[in-house]
Amino acid sequence: MAVKKFKVDRDLCIGASSCVVAAPSVYELDQENKAVIKQKNNKKSSDSTDVKDLEDSNIDEKTLMEAAQSCPVKAIIVYDENGKQIYP
Amino acid sequence: MLKTHYLIIGGGIAGTTAAETIRQNDKNNEIAIVSDEPYRLYSRIILSKANFFLGKIPLDSVWLKTPEWYKNNRIDLILGKKAVECDPGKKCIKLDDGSEIQFEKLLLAMGGHARKWPVDGANKKGVFYLRTLDDAKGAMTAIKKAKKAVCVGGGFTSFEMCDVLKLAGIEITVIVREPYFWSPALDEPSGKMVEEAFKKSGVRLIQNATVKKVIGDKTVTGVKLENGDEISCDMIIVGIGVSTDSDWLNSAGISVSRGIVANEYMETNIKDIWTAGDCAKFNDLLLDEYILLGNWANAQNHGKIAGLNMSGKKQAFQMVSSFSSHAFGVSVAFTGDARSENREVIKRGSPQSNSYGRIIIDDHDEMVGATFINRTQELMPTAKLIEKGIKVVSIRKQLADSNYNLNQLLK
Repeated sequence: MAVKKFKVDRDLCIGASSCVVAAPSVYELDQENKAVIKQKNNKKSSDSTDVKDLEDSNIDEKTLMEAAQSCPVKAIIVYDENGKQIYP
Repeated sequence: MLKTHYLIIGGGIAGTTAAETIRQNDKNNEIAIVSDEPYRLYSRIILSKANFFLGKIPLDSVWLKTPEWYKNNRIDLILGKKAVECDPGKKCIKLDDGSEIQFEKLLLAMGGHARKWPVDGANKKGVFYLRTLDDAKGAMTAIKKAKKAVCVGGGFTSFEMCDVLKLAGIEITVIVREPYFWSPALDEPSGKMVEEAFKKSGVRLIQNATVKKVIGDKTVTGVKLENGDEISCDMIIVGIGVSTDSDWLNSAGISVSRGIVANEYMETNIKDIWTAGDCAKFNDLLLDEYILLGNWANAQNHGKIAGLNMSGKKQAFQMVSSFSSHAFGVSVAFTGDARSENREVIKRGSPQSNSYGRIIIDDHDEMVGATFINRTQELMPTAKLIEKGIKVVSIRKQLADSNYNLNQLLK
């Protein structure tokens, strides 16, 4: 169960910022108070992001999963290397 | 007697995050969580969301951890038991079934419980709170048959539940004791903006009103107000705030003042006892005051900091927490300490333009909090400005200019 890609469903996100607490180097809230993923080259997006494109290249899988699991509205969707959804 | 190195009272987001953090830093010692609910960690936030409440997503969406997670992390989860006594000398907690647990390090993260409605007949069938999953389950069943509902209390619960009840086609009356909705957390113009949205959606609101008694035999059929008016209904949702049950800690000598008092490391006045979440009144370094906050991210981060410090690190809590809600086309957002009494308030936008914010300044000339109606885009920059602790004197002009983009101040 390897985390390959993940995204934020902006329709579900309520800006509770649990992901920012769990993984501050990966998430922040944008102007609409929705979570975005911090990618390389200062890009920020809620869209599906490959782990290798994260700004923080040292982030571990456990932290990424725990950030997803801390979201109270389950707005973070996680996929494995086969494109299969592994959370929620 | 059960012995555990780390004992956590409370299985919500604060307690569970603490357990998770401890396990990251201490692979060996035992961790036990005691919860007075019969459930593992679930989302309290989702309970009042329409898609969950109306069954558009499965009930199982509520769970945030699997039973395997506890097993894999070797966290002993003791459910349905309440801590009733604490002996810091013996390092022992007594539970309501008479059993005792010995600990080396203790975390008090019991959260808050829904404040009981002190009204004649409040125990009748059809009166619901919305704090726990069991509360929600009861209300979710009742909503299927209900035609008329009364919501008591002018805050978060009523705001979100009115939206849900409306979607379910139920006729709603909201009863608030205060002169306007969401008083005193919002100022009157902000509260009136919310009230206007209620009105447009056909929700009836009665201000300055108190329920004298609940009418009905065993089941609710209505409420009678102090002024004699009667309102018929077949369910009542009560959201009049949250309080912490801390009486059992008095004999332990743990300092309590509405919440369990903690320093910035989430330590109480008693060695080896920490606190976190909605029950913790902590020293907020950014706001420069002891404060009791009840929101998800605050509780989660408290748990993280307490967990770190319990497992031997030394890290202070430093976060400005925010929360927002959306119903009837109105978005309401709070950040930091938004109490405005006896404090300077800088206003942004206006109720007339349907976009109105208030930035709250303390007597040290620093921003401490804000409220926003339909201006959620200013929540994030405001929280960051509070974190930075910039003196308002240098940015007062920009803060007072409603068209000024607050993000510019962060550059």
